[in-house]
Amino acid sequence: MTASDLFIALPELFILVMACLIMLIDLYLPENRRGMVSFISVLTLLFAGIMVMRWQAVDSSTAQYAFNGTFVRDRMADVLKVFCFIVLGAVFVYAKHYLRVFKLMCGEYYVLSLFLLLGAMVLISAASLLTVYLGLELISLSSYALVALNRDDRRGAEAAMKYFILGSLASGLLLYGMSMLYGVTGSLSLSDIAASVAIAGDNVMLVFALVFVVVGIAFKLGAVPFHMWVPDVYHGAPAAVTMLIGSVPKLAAFAMAIRLLDNGLVPMQGDWMAMLTVLAALSIIVGNLVAIAQTNLKRMLAYSTISHMGFLLLGVLAGTAQGYSAAMFYAITYAIMSTGAFAVLIMLSKSGIEAENLDDYKGLNQRNPLLAALMLMLMFSMAGIPVFVGFFAKWLVIQAILDVGLLWLAVVAVVFSVIGSFYYLRVVKLMYFDEPETTDKVTAPADFRFVLTVNGVAQLLMGIFANALIALCVASF
Amino acid sequence: MSAYLTELTLAHFLTLGAILFSLSVAGIFLNRKNVIILLMAIELMLLAVNMNFVAFSRFHGNADGQVFVFFILTVAAAEAAIGLAILVVLFRNRNTINVAELDDLKG
Amino acid sequence: MSIQVLVFYLFGTILTLSALSVITVRNPVYAALFLVLAFFSSAAIWMLLEVEFLAITLVLVYVGAVMVLFLFVVMMLDVNLSRLREGFARYLPVGILVALVMAGELLLVIWTKGAEKLPLPPGNPEGFSNTTYLGERLYTEYLFPFEIAAVILLVAIVAAITLTHRGRSEGGRYQDPARQVQVTRDERVRIVSMPAVKDKENGA
Repeated sequence: MTASDLFIALPELFILVMACLIMLIDLYLPENRRGMVSFISVLTLLFAGIMVMRWQAVDSSTAQYAFNGTFVRDRMADVLKVFCFIVLGAVFVYAKHYLRVFKLMCGEYYVLSLFLLLGAMVLISAASLLTVYLGLELISLSSYALVALNRDDRRGAEAAMKYFILGSLASGLLLYGMSMLYGVTGSLSLSDIAASVAIAGDNVMLVFALVFVVVGIAFKLGAVPFHMWVPDVYHGAPAAVTMLIGSVPKLAAFAMAIRLLDNGLVPMQGDWMAMLTVLAALSIIVGNLVAIAQTNLKRMLAYSTISHMGFLLLGVLAGTAQGYSAAMFYAITYAIMSTGAFAVLIMLSKSGIEAENLDDYKGLNQRNPLLAALMLMLMFSMAGIPVFVGFFAKWLVIQAILDVGLLWLAVVAVVFSVIGSFYYLRVVKLMYFDEPETTDKVTAPADFRFVLTVNGVAQLLMGIFANALIALCVASF
Repeated sequence: MSAYLTELTLAHFLTLGAILFSLSVAGIFLNRKNVIILLMAIELMLLAVNMNFVAFSRFHGNADGQVFVFFILTVAAAEAAIGLAILVVLFRNRNTINVAELDDLKG
Repeated sequence: MSIQVLVFYLFGTILTLSALSVITVRNPVYAALFLVLAFFSSAAIWMLLEVEFLAITLVLVYVGAVMVLFLFVVMMLDVNLSRLREGFARYLPVGILVALVMAGELLLVIWTKGAEKLPLPPGNPEGFSNTTYLGERLYTEYLFPFEIAAVILLVAIVAAITLTHRGRSEGGRYQDPARQVQVTRDERVRIVSMPAVKDKENGA
């Protein structure tokens, strides 16, 4: 290890130091000044973002390795990390209001979220099986605890337990695959593994290892048939935590898929393409169909997540640079969309009751036209209606699979995204054409409203100026 | 068959790992209701993984596998602590650890 | 048949049987104890592979800490055992089938690979220290993962305390050492003046 190694990993070190510092500050803050923690956390993200952008990889076309090849910093890592900071910053602003309203205000939410972010950064920059595993576990362990944050809530504890059992099981399966990979190649470094696998050629043990690895990735993304945890966790966790789980970990899971499948197992592309095709098609079909039947917004968004992860996998399974950049674009826009949708849910929540039933959205336009307009933009974007950014995300991944000749999969994707738009539009219908059940005023602090407005309008602006973000994603591969 | 009795080979340890892994998967199927046994089955699965890593490490003659096992042991300890903490929270809220009775979340 | 092969089969059998018991016994306390036995046998088998440090760590960390935690929780929670066994018999055929298919596939993979023709390389020379070897790797090549593992342990501490610690005020009785040392004689001893009366019934 040299000083330059530390320099390459500076943003990670900064987040680690600040997370520990915030934990100590929180200890000495009086109960009524806890908002400070939120402020410092957002500031931390801002500085970490500056660090990533200011000291970008000297030559972004070549990856920089550090710590004996366990850590890599390349263009994809930098871009994903910056978007992690942006999304988490928004989550922190929203969460402050939620935690206040639900009397959960505690520094632990912020500390665990920052540790989760650190895990995501480690995973995004992983260059060895070991760092993939440790980054993944750091994310998972923090999120298990966060789901149970509201200790007196029966649903939270139940969701956390289910998440924990299935998550540990998935980690175990992934590890078994990793042990076989190590057995065949004799190395933990992803680039060495790729080289050895290319020489080893057709090997039944490698195929077995790949199956376990793909199962692990599918679980973490929440792709059918490894999606059982998603609805329960989204539903049972406090909305501020659900929002978090739908944002940063999704970006990290995308990075994990790229690191393992492309950086490590690219010689086996034919094998994993076939597996991912099944996962992606099932996720899109099941996610969209089951979401229609939901009356609970949190569960509906959970099933919508499953279908979105199916779309994301479309880009990955294309196996081309174009496909990867499309999937990356999808992951980033999805994280921003879902954060916004949960923010609307939080804003409508009253003390002790989350606005999770679809009926709570009836006549929202009459109660708060701006909020209804923002939700409309978010829902349109999720449904993939043109001009909004979600449309371009879907368009790019479908383009990518058409280019590798998977016409039937593209047809499935288009048909089910049309079917899926029904349940997003149902929310819009409830907001604009139904009578409100209450006339309570919908309020939130100024910073919350400001960030939410930016978040909603961004769906439109990012769609109109999609080229900039697309260029950024294309340059990453 | 006599080859298995004269000398220890890689296959001996991998077979043991595979048996442990299968037992742990069966354990998860059999004890779907009891969270504590589920957690123990997951520990067994990690033991199977560790057995593989240790055997491969010896076979390849490099330390990578042993280092990986070291980290799996560390993470498993952390995982057990969090898992049992969640279990305690669950029990305080509901007085049961029966998975079948966890039915608040359906839809 | 060398002594090593004999030891392997001995501990391998104990390990398999105890693992089988973990997933089939009725009482979670027994299951935990069988898991301890499984870890001990694994440690013995790892000794055969000359990974002494990990073998000791397995016993120390798992038997010494993780399993004690398990037992602690099992005994603390008053679990209704009979209810938890419902459905065991129903899932038994599926469970056996899953285990057999899984084991069959894995063994097929291992054996077609020709692993039985791959003898282990000769052991380490005399005086070789596995601990030194591993320690050197950990603190040089694997420094970054090592630090991340430390963070994971920190997260476990924070999470476990966040989830289960209920604060002192709810706990009821606790000691305050500062108050204990500041105690004065007047607080401790109350002198009750009692007139000296002769008790006739008990009188000496």
